[in-house]
Amino acid sequence: MMRLSGRFRSSLIIGIQGIRARKLRTLLSMVSLFLGVLAVVVVQAGASIAERALLSDLELTYGYDGTRTIGMPPEQKAADAVLTSVKGRTDAVAGISMQGIIGEPGVRPVNEGGAPIGQDWGGGQVCFADGHCEEPSGPKGAAVEVRLTALTGDIRQFRPFRTVSGTWLDFTTVPSMAPRLVLNQEAAKGFRQYQVPAEMRVRGTTANLTPRFVGVVDDGGTEPRAYVRVDELATWMPPGKLVDPNTAGEINVMLRPGSPVEQVLTAKIKAAGLETYVNDVNNREQQEDQLRLMRLVFFSMAGLVLLIGVAGILNVGLATVGERVEEFALRRAVGTPRSLLAGIVLAETLLTGLLTAAAAIGASALALKAATTLAGNTHPILDNVQFPWEAGVAGIIAGIVAGILGGFVPALRAAGIPIATVMRA
Amino acid sequence: MIELTGITKVLKGQSEPRTILDGVDLSVAAGQSVAIVGRSGSGKSTLLSVIGLFDRPDQGRYVLAGQDISRVPERRAAKLRSSHFGFVFQRFFLLKHLTAAQNVAMALVNGQGWLPRRERRARVMQALDQVGIAHLAKNRPAKMSGGEQQRVAIARALVRNPQVLLADEPTGALDTETGTLVIDALLGATERGCALILVTHDRDHAARMGRIHDLVDGVLTERVRA
Repeated sequence: MMRLSGRFRSSLIIGIQGIRARKLRTLLSMVSLFLGVLAVVVVQAGASIAERALLSDLELTYGYDGTRTIGMPPEQKAADAVLTSVKGRTDAVAGISMQGIIGEPGVRPVNEGGAPIGQDWGGGQVCFADGHCEEPSGPKGAAVEVRLTALTGDIRQFRPFRTVSGTWLDFTTVPSMAPRLVLNQEAAKGFRQYQVPAEMRVRGTTANLTPRFVGVVDDGGTEPRAYVRVDELATWMPPGKLVDPNTAGEINVMLRPGSPVEQVLTAKIKAAGLETYVNDVNNREQQEDQLRLMRLVFFSMAGLVLLIGVAGILNVGLATVGERVEEFALRRAVGTPRSLLAGIVLAETLLTGLLTAAAAIGASALALKAATTLAGNTHPILDNVQFPWEAGVAGIIAGIVAGILGGFVPALRAAGIPIATVMRA
Repeated sequence: MIELTGITKVLKGQSEPRTILDGVDLSVAAGQSVAIVGRSGSGKSTLLSVIGLFDRPDQGRYVLAGQDISRVPERRAAKLRSSHFGFVFQRFFLLKHLTAAQNVAMALVNGQGWLPRRERRARVMQALDQVGIAHLAKNRPAKMSGGEQQRVAIARALVRNPQVLLADEPTGALDTETGTLVIDALLGATERGCALILVTHDRDHAARMGRIHDLVDGVLTERVRA
């Protein structure tokens, strides 16, 4: 152990002396390697940032990894079972979705069927269980259709909605008679484009409601949606009318893993003669396939650039060993073993690789910092982005690999220098 | 200390193999000084290479401190070079980017054991002091004269307290006066029990050694002093 330690220290000391003695040459080696390591760092950083951005979008839409979602048919019996099961629970949140039209009474909304603003799905027809359908009546007017989701609690513990403006729903206060709504960005866009009266039609309510918009969030959705506290909506609905099966309503419950609510709820739904659809969120696995190919292509390109850098180190290394023939022969004469001579050359190329990696990582981190500062406001993907540690690790590994690959052949040459060189000089 | 018996070295790889050393017998004890003289190409440096374990003899027996090392593997040879030998060459082979002290310390940082920095420094200064140039410890070779540089090389050879000092024409690149100082430094080592084998063309320097051997066409004979 002591011997190994001594050799390691010796190679390190001599390697550092060698680098200090040939600063320009080391710098040239670093320049040739810099782009290669930088390419690896940038690809890894880009992949990590893209992965996080993608994951973040998927979390907005589907929830955090590990979240269990239970879907069920939009039947009143299911809604009753859900409301009684999740009431007072912090580990489960239910969302009951239905059609809501906000605007002038008696007119057809500008986006019938809850289409994204500016698109025409040609919807609006309502079909009933007995098979007959009703065409919407009246002219198109100043109204926007949204998918209204009534929540039993703060859903952000499962789906990390980003607040764009205003505030999120407050579930700690007493229910308001004027239901508070939080819009998603698409719905907010509709209300920016169309000036509509604050009157909301929801099928089944006893009267049209007067909603209050309290905030706008990014929920990852592309269709106009509004979120409301279920108890504030229920104030205006007679018992048994919360669910409207005729307007593509839906009931979803999100649960933390291992929540006892699941067992109670599924039992109740089963007893009601209905089915549940259980799904575990696993965004990472889902996106892995998408990213794998992209990462492979970019890493191959970065690898090629790195190889060019390795060739540079190799070239400079061979030239340096050629110049240091007498030094290495002399070192052998004073008892330095061949393995340590190889170690000295490898230590120099490794240190060069590590210095280059440090420079490339530093440059990338600075560039990212500059990009987030300058373009963070206009490009959300760059907003608040930190330099990913994976990119730093990748850069260090690339530096080490390049140092070993570039120093291997020169190290073998150094170890093979005949000791009698000093005698013939 | 050193016992060479029937050492033969043949230079191969040419159209006809050439015998460089032909049955050389040599015995050197601790504290003795031996001069090996001969014309260029007579095999003096090859003999020194064999003694210093840079090269292996084709035939013969080499005993160092009672151990037969005629066929010693390279790894062990490196260890023996470090522990038993000190080398001084005609060219000083100082690394120009290192100071005198760092050049001397080079023999201590050779992967054969590890000395703490303080002890390393003490031994380096002691070796430089032995050759009378401790005051030049921080100077780089470019700022030293030829004699001073050779004395740094001698300090490098002495710093591991070798049992045998091998010097291959150490005064070849120096004027007479400086050469004498260098020989003084080498002989100083023999007073501390170190054996000295000096290869030289200079009769005066050879005459200062305890014994003189002539090497003619690979054959070594001891000169009888008048």
